[in-house]
Amino acid sequence: MKRLILMVCLLGSFLAEAQSDRFIFGFFPEASLSYKVSEKYTVTHKIESQHGLYDSNNLNEELEYEHSLTDLQSFIGRRLSPFVKVDVGYQYRIEEGENTHRTIQQVSILQRASFYRIGHRIRIDETFFKEAPLLFRARYRLKGQIPLQGLSLDPGEKYLAVSNELIYMIQSSEDDLENRFAASLGFYFDDKNKFEVGLDYRTDDYLVEDKFRHRLWFKVGYYKSL
Amino acid sequence: MIRSITRLLIMLCFSFGFAQEKNEVEKRIEKQEVPQQAKAWLNDAYENKRRTKWYFQTDDEEQVFEAKLKHNKHLHSVEFDLDGNVRNIEVLIDENELDEEVRKVISTYLNTYFSKFSISKIQIQYTGEGDDLEDVIDEDEFEDITVSYEIEFYGKTETEDELWEALFDSEGILIKKRSVNLKATDNLDY
Repeated sequence: MKRLILMVCLLGSFLAEAQSDRFIFGFFPEASLSYKVSEKYTVTHKIESQHGLYDSNNLNEELEYEHSLTDLQSFIGRRLSPFVKVDVGYQYRIEEGENTHRTIQQVSILQRASFYRIGHRIRIDETFFKEAPLLFRARYRLKGQIPLQGLSLDPGEKYLAVSNELIYMIQSSEDDLENRFAASLGFYFDDKNKFEVGLDYRTDDYLVEDKFRHRLWFKVGYYKSL
Repeated sequence: MIRSITRLLIMLCFSFGFAQEKNEVEKRIEKQEVPQQAKAWLNDAYENKRRTKWYFQTDDEEQVFEAKLKHNKHLHSVEFDLDGNVRNIEVLIDENELDEEVRKVISTYLNTYFSKFSISKIQIQYTGEGDDLEDVIDEDEFEDITVSYEIEFYGKTETEDELWEALFDSEGILIKKRSVNLKATDNLDY
């Protein structure tokens, strides 16, 4: 109950603040499929899609559906130790205007404690446009996972996942920051099937004058491994 | 015929591999679900400690009840069989609390077999009869008690790079070890 009250308060404060800034709300489904190709190497495919339902920039301020973007990603990862994994990936983004290509490199570090675990993800990516210069981003994400039933997460149990990611981006000489905070309820069906449902709150345009943007996504994600 | 033998060999390899792995499942349970005998033993030994959490644990071989509680600033896990008879007590300790002689023997083993290692968890395990185990807690007496050490560590050799759970005897000699299956990290990585 306390968690629900906190969630409502947070949402309320976002909305109040968002009155002077741009505010977007929408639906954000994602799904990933991972499989081992050898003892050390794993391939992961991921699809994620953003669907806008509300944008404060729309003059009539009514709910209006808009497909924002869909990302198709593929990664190949090598496990360096039980706790460290490196990945290289490619993303094809489908969105209005111009579809883009992105290359991704990341290091993931797993930190375990007695009952929770934390994933550190350090990622850099480069986005290529037809006309515009290359967009370079450096990102760090921290994601914690806590079992909600007992001290260890076992099949059929639920967990809480909380993450925050800070992104620095630079294109030509213009740079900016973005922050992504997410909290979700996870369903651990078994180690090969996980489902997460929650909210993903993103703010950006920190370094752009008079142009701050809030995006709140209702996010659902399925993580499948073979 | 050759194909059948190959298939049999592959199955044997797999079953051998699985037997070496730790696959524990633990569920939180209510106090009412615990055998009366287990609760009575715990009350006697720990003198009515209030904050006890109860779990039901299964692995590939057996089912047990487990009580977790704090005692003298250490986390204690007390294991009971399905009838409520106490089986052992595990006490979580820091590396520097290990007996110096035992620590030396265990360090020698780790240094000999692993090119790289780091210890993540140490538990002293006390095994014995119910009355003797009770004396360990309330009298600090260790008569007829078997002491062993359960240690979780990351260890790398030329061929293996795993998280391990190993049991060492009271002198620090390895009794057995098995690899610990880490859960998939797909939801933390992507």
